[in-house]
Order: sequence, then structure tokens, then C-alpha cells
Amino acid sequence: MEAAKSGGMNFAGAIGDTYGKLLQNSSYRYFALVLGAPVNLFTLFVHRVHKAGDIYASTERETRQELLASGLQEQLKTEFVEQLHSKIRFFGQQASVAELDSQAAQLAAERFENIVAERVDSRLREKGLARSTFISTFQALLRHPWFLPLSIIPGFPLYLLILLYSSPYLKYIFERLVMTVFVIFGVAVLVFTILYISPFDPAVNILGQTATDAQIIEFNRVYGLDQPYLVQLWDNVKGIAMFDLGKAFAGNEDIVTAIGRKFPVTLELTLLSLLMAIVIAIPIGIISATKPNSWFDYTFMLIALIGLSIPSFWQGLVFILGFSIKLQWLPATFSPSNWMTFIMPVVVLGTGLTAAIARMTRASTLEVIHEDYIITATAKGLSKRKVLLKHAVRNALIPIVTVIGLQFGGMLGGAAVTEKVFNISGLGSYIVDKQFIPDIPAIMGGVVYTAITISLINAIIDILYAFVDPRIRSKMKQY
Amino acid sequence: MVNASAARRETQLKLKTSQEYRQAGFAWVGSLIVTLALLLSSYDWETQAIKPYVWVACCLYGAFTLLQVLLTLLIRRDIMVRGEIHGVTRALGYIQILSLVTGNVFLVTAAFQLIRKRKSPEYTLAVYTLLTQIAVIAVSAINLYKPYVADTFLTGMFILLAVAAFHLLVVVLTAKFVRRRQVPRRLVWVAYPLLLTSLTGNLFALALGIILLVRIRNRDNPAVAGWEDVLERLTRNTTAMLGLLFIAFLFSVSVCSYVTFDYGMAVDNNYSLILQPPSLAYPLGTDNFGRCLFTRIIFGARISLIVGVMSTVLPLLLGGTLGAISGYYGRYTDNIIMRALDVLYAIPGILLAIAIIAAFGANTVNLILALSVGAIPTYARTMRANVLQVSTYEFVDAARAFGSSNAAIIFKHIVPNSLAPMIVKSTLTIGGAVISTSSLSFLGLGIEPHIPEWGNILKLGSTYLETNSYLAIFPGLAIIALVLSFNFLGDGLRDALDPKME
Repeated sequence: MEAAKSGGMNFAGAIGDTYGKLLQNSSYRYFALVLGAPVNLFTLFVHRVHKAGDIYASTERETRQELLASGLQEQLKTEFVEQLHSKIRFFGQQASVAELDSQAAQLAAERFENIVAERVDSRLREKGLARSTFISTFQALLRHPWFLPLSIIPGFPLYLLILLYSSPYLKYIFERLVMTVFVIFGVAVLVFTILYISPFDPAVNILGQTATDAQIIEFNRVYGLDQPYLVQLWDNVKGIAMFDLGKAFAGNEDIVTAIGRKFPVTLELTLLSLLMAIVIAIPIGIISATKPNSWFDYTFMLIALIGLSIPSFWQGLVFILGFSIKLQWLPATFSPSNWMTFIMPVVVLGTGLTAAIARMTRASTLEVIHEDYIITATAKGLSKRKVLLKHAVRNALIPIVTVIGLQFGGMLGGAAVTEKVFNISGLGSYIVDKQFIPDIPAIMGGVVYTAITISLINAIIDILYAFVDPRIRSKMKQY
Repeated sequence: MVNASAARRETQLKLKTSQEYRQAGFAWVGSLIVTLALLLSSYDWETQAIKPYVWVACCLYGAFTLLQVLLTLLIRRDIMVRGEIHGVTRALGYIQILSLVTGNVFLVTAAFQLIRKRKSPEYTLAVYTLLTQIAVIAVSAINLYKPYVADTFLTGMFILLAVAAFHLLVVVLTAKFVRRRQVPRRLVWVAYPLLLTSLTGNLFALALGIILLVRIRNRDNPAVAGWEDVLERLTRNTTAMLGLLFIAFLFSVSVCSYVTFDYGMAVDNNYSLILQPPSLAYPLGTDNFGRCLFTRIIFGARISLIVGVMSTVLPLLLGGTLGAISGYYGRYTDNIIMRALDVLYAIPGILLAIAIIAAFGANTVNLILALSVGAIPTYARTMRANVLQVSTYEFVDAARAFGSSNAAIIFKHIVPNSLAPMIVKSTLTIGGAVISTSSLSFLGLGIEPHIPEWGNILKLGSTYLETNSYLAIFPGLAIIALVLSFNFLGDGLRDALDPKME
């Protein structure tokens, strides 16, 4: 019973402490004050009632009187006037006496307030008392056994926020997710706005120049294009969140269904390319870094640079020409059921990424290899292989994974070109085809859902890092 | 045993530090690759016959490559036995200069480096100026085989030849008079005409003229500016210089093509010459409208360079400014700018470009804007990281203590000191912009289809992949060469600007 009670006390104390820290964080403060408004208002009320009869107020009044009587403020002001004069003389500036006086008075008043607060604090401490603040009132209230159970319902969002703030991991994950949601929202707004301010009239584009006014009005009414900007924007954002973007302008098909049918193809292609890139590039990069300026290094880095410089559509055409038309090894057109048809698109899409990862791996391993801890590991007598794999590569992998995460986005975009070359009906070629109409909601859906995938993947990579990399972990705990 | 190993290491170090040996090695490997490529293409697999012209070229290349291998071995022996390269070996370099006739840049650049014992960056630049000019003349001269040429062709060719002769003179003069960082005052009479010749689009001439003038102005000042070291490291990097050579050549050809090429060849339909295979008059064949593919590729270079450079410069300026402000002011400013750019960063560049083009239509200006917008965040991030680092240096504190305004601190102290990574980044991303441009044109979303642009040419060619594959292959090779050049240059600039890498 006693232990449970002290446990409860500790728990309450932890909540109070965390809330105190939270209120010092400028970006969290406002959320906390708004989210826990009922609890905060009650605490404020209690705080005010207490403060009136507080010893702090009387001590402050006394100290202020004393200091004013000692002429401290005048003394500070003359000091500041002198300093300002010498500063102006040094820089050769001009300023009127009245201006200087008012500046000095302001600075003196600020300093005076600081001194008063300091004195009061030290006096109170001498007497063994603490100043009663909003947060100390809150902590005192928490110690009351009835406060927490009663306030848990009105203050639930506040307590949740405090819980998040109490653990650095939870806080980090929460912040990263909030940012992702913000980015996704921003992407939706941006893409919609770009398409909205387009000088083209979709109705005329779809219905043709011969369309009558009545037809155009009807078209605009059906697709909600007669609504004001904000209403349309809200509808679109809501549509993206609820996976319901309505029907495309042309073809009368449901956009989200079409995207849902095409997206897996693109994703499969991209993931296979990613796999290929990682399997090929990382060993090459590591070997190049262990033998810098060797034949192996030069050859493979030259190939990597060429790989970076080849336009994927040209590479696709040359592959089709070589392997499908001349040699007839691989079929030229894509069909999801035949794995042979995957080879060429995957290689073409993955070439750029392979080259980028190989270069990045080499650079990052080279950087790590000269660190002190590698010399230590070698000096300990570890085998070359062990030093390389356990110490060098593990540390070098961190920037590589970041690059892979960032490049993945580029690949999802670049898939559009590869898909067009090999005639694959993925999301990329869907967006390109819709662009010619231009079918605004379809383009918007395709681009936004791609961006959402990329944002989520990058958020997951970042969060995983927090658990894998001890450096990020320690940095996280610092704030 | 220990002595033997130490001696071996010493010779290895000697060989490694010898610029001539390294370059000679690079030259024969590069030349061998070209020879092998020629060998492969000299045999026609379908008709089982040897193509005579390609075969002759292959033999010539092979002979010079063989000579270069021997020369490399000679240099190696000289260094190992005497510690330096013998004068006779250097004189053999003059023979290799003859490979200029075959257009073998690897051997020619190595030979020019070999024949001079003391090389100043000015000499190297002068050599590359000359090579650029000769390449432009050679490419323009192909027009002689055409049934008709542009009205200004002859005048243009004579001017170009005169400029080339002058550039040869500049090579001799810089070799003779420019000593290590010392340029005699008389060379002003070379520098100004050199600047005038850069009107032909010869970027090397422009650079050399400016450098000569600056050196002459600072000749009594013993201080070594940072850029001089960078210049020296860059001119020693063969791959970077070759990349720059190709870029300068394309730029110069783009400028000179106004005079020496006939635009009609590239755009006017000629139904009597549809889908001709490569011949002397039409070196890369003709397309389905009877237009000369070679001329079209030459005129396409202009668009690729303009779009590539513009869509790098715009985000460089915009992103750079945003990044500098964000990094310098920190806190709320930083948060707002970077979060806004995060939104832009989440959309893949190509898809954003497609969305923008869908909204505003496909034309060159929209294409440049569309590609620029997507690239802003990367530049802003790079600049912000640099500025964050530079802001902590003491000279910034000193400037603040002296009462400089924020704008003065940012633009006079912080930005100039954080430019180097931005320059490297932009050089490396121009290549990406060139690829994006041609990719979008290939999809039909880029440059208007009637303009000869590399992506457009490829799109047309891709429909004749089975019967006339050269229509798709040659413009692709041009794109690769340009992008590869920018990547080589970017890598070289990174190494030159970051001494830590050495």
C-alpha cells in the first residue's frame, strides 16, 4: 500500500517534471496550453489564488524598495550612457543625446529588473522557500490524490503530449510523423495549386472547341470546377486522405482504382531495381575503397560514371535493339506473368542507382577507413576482413542508406521514362498518358500518391536510424 | 630484402608522381578502348564484310596506340634508371602529336604534356584552346562534302583557320615565356586578341586570356591566391580537362554553327534523301524526312547546353539564396524555409516537371522552369549546410564585431567561402539536367517537336529502331558524351577544390 502510494507519487512527480520541461520548449508550449486548456485554466486559477497571499510578492516589494532607495537605477543608467558614448566614438557614428538617454534608460531598467529578481530569489532561498510558479502549482496539485483521476478525462490530450515528451524516442518518432503529415499535406496543396492556376480550360480541352456553353457549364458542374479555389482544394485534400478522387475527366474510370491497379507494377519494378543495385553496388564500392587507385577501382568507377551518364530511355532502346531485335534473347514488350520481361526494365531502371550507390559506398568507406577507431581495431590485431566488415562498413553504411532512401524517390519518378520505353502500364506511364489530355485529377492523384510513398519511406528510414545509430540516439537524448 | 622492398616502393612512388607517366598510361588505355570499339564496328556482321573506311581508321588508331605503349615503356625505363625523362623520349612526343590527324585526343594531350619539361597551367590551357579550335574546324569542314553549304561558310572557315593559327602562336609563346606564375608584360598583346577570339565560343581562350591578364596585373605580388592552386590541380587532371574540352568544343560549335552550318539541312524536308545510311555527305545518315542527322545533332547541342545550364543556374541562385538566409538566421526563418522546401523535395523532379508542364504547356521556357523548381531544395540544403559551418568561423565574428550589417556579412564573408561545394554540385547536376531535358523531350513533354533537340531526334529515331538504328544511337551517344563530360569535370573540380582528397 505504502509502496504503491510512493509509486503513484513518483509517477505524478515525473509528469510534473516533464510538463515543466515541455513548457520551456517554445514549439510545444502552445500545443500544450491549448490541448490541456481545462486543466491549465484550473491550475492557473489555483496559482492566482495562492499567489495573492504568497510570501514572494511581499519579499519582492521589499527588495525593490530597498534597491530603489540605494540609487542603483541611476548608477546603472550613467554607466550605460558612458558605454554607449564610447561605442559611438569607436565606430564614428552620430547619435543625439536624447536618443542615447532613452536607450540607456531602457537598458538600465532591464538590468534593474534582473537584479531585483536575482536578489529576491537568493533571499527566498536563504529562508528555505521557493517561488510559487505555474508549474510548481501544477506539481503540487498532482500530488493531491484526487487531481489526476479527475483531470485525466478533460486533460487527456495534454497527458498524451506529456507522455510523448517524456521519452526521447517517442518524441522523435512523433515529430517525424507530424512532419511527414505536414509534407504530405503540403504536396497535395502544391500540386493542386500548380494544376489549378493552369491557363488551360479543362472543359474545352476534353469536350473540344465545338462544345456549347451549356456543355461546358455542365462539365464544370459535374467535376466541381465551378467551385471557388478553397472549396476545390479542400475537396481534393479530403479525397486524397479518403482514397476517393472521383472519376477521371476522360475514360470515366475511377482514379484511385486505376492508380491502385498500376502502382504495384511500378513498385515491384522499383524494388527489384533497388535490390539489384544494392547487391551489385555495395561490394564493388567496398572493394574499390579498399584498393583505391588500383585497376579495379579505376575501371569500375569509370563504368559507374558512365552508368550515371546514360539516359535510361536510350539504354532501354539499345537493350531492345541488342537483346530483343538482334539477338532475340529477351521479349521486347512487358507482360507481368513472364519473368524474362522483367530483366531489361529492371536493369535499365537500376543502372543509375547502382552507379550512384557504388560511388557513394566508395567515398563513404574511404572516409571511414582513415578514422582512428579503424587504426585501433587493426592495432588490436583483428584480421583485415573483420576490421573492414565489422568496423568500417557498418559505419560507412549510414550515409549510404540515406542516399538509397533519397534516390528511391528519384527512381519512382524515373520509372515513368522506363515504363514508356518498355510499354509497361505502371503509374509513371499512367501519369504521362494523362498529361497529354491533360487530365488534372488523374495527374494530381498519381503525383501525390507517389510523393506520399516516398515521404513515408524516408520517414521510416529516419526512424529506423534512431534505433540503429548510437550517434543519433545520443544526440536525440540531448534535447 | 627490406632494401629491395624499399627500393621497389621508391620507384613506384616515382612513377606515381610522374605526371607524364600517368598521362601516358591513361592515353594508351583510352586509345586502346577507341581502337577496340573501331575494330568491333569495322566488321559488318550481317553481310560478313569489312567496312573499309572504319578498318583504315582502326589500323591508324592501332598503330598510334602501339607507339604510345612503347613510349610509355620508355618513359618508365627513363624514370627508373635516370630518375627523369630523357630529352630524346620527350622529342618522340612530337611524333605522337601527328595522331591529331586521326582525332585521337588521348594521345595528343599526352604528347603535348610530354614534350614540355616545365608545364605551366597557361601552357596546358593554350594547348586545349588550340585543340578546341582544331576540333571545331574539323567538324565544320565535314560540310565540304555536302551538296551545298551556308553562304557564310567560306568566310567563317577562313576566320576559324586564322584564329587557329593565332592559337598555335599562343601555344608557342606561353611555352616559351610563361614561367612558374610569372607572365611577362609583353604578353598583354597576346591576352587581348585571345579574349577577342573567345567570340568563337572558345571557353579555353576566354579563360586563358583572363588568367594572363590577372597574372600580369599581379606580377609584383608574391602572394598566391587560392584559385591558382585550384587551377594548377585542375589542369593536371586529364579526365576533367578532357571533359572540359568536349564542353568547350560543343559550346564553340554551337556558336560557330550560325556561320558554318546551314540550318535548312536540319529542318527542311528533303524527300529524295529519306533514311539514307551514313555517307560522306551525310556522315550520320538522314532521317525519315531526309534531314541530315549530323547537322541536326550539331544544332541540338545548343538547346541541350542552354537548357542544361539555365536549369542549373536558376535553382543555384534561388536555392543558394534561400539556403544562405536559412543557415544564417537559423531558428524560425530556417524552420519555415526548410519545411517549405521539404514539401518540394518530396516530389520526384521528373513528376513535378510533368505536372508543371501539364499545367502550363510544353515549351522551352516552361521546361527550364519546371526542371529548375524541382532542383531548388537540393541546392538550398547544400548551401545551408555550408553556411552553418562557415558562420562559426572567427572571421564572421570579427565582421560582426566591426558592426557589418547582416547582408554584408552574408554576401561578403559567408557566401564566397561556401561557394566551392555549390560549384561542384552544380557541375555534377548539369549532366542530370541534360538527361532530364532529353527524357522529357523523348516523352513528348519537353522542347517543341519541330526544334532539333537531342531528345526529339531520339524520339523520331526510336520508331526506326529495327531498320535504321543509327537514328537512335548517335543522338544518344551525343547525350552520353556531354553528360559524361560534365561528370568528369565535376569530379575534377571536387578534387581540385578539396585539397583533403589528394
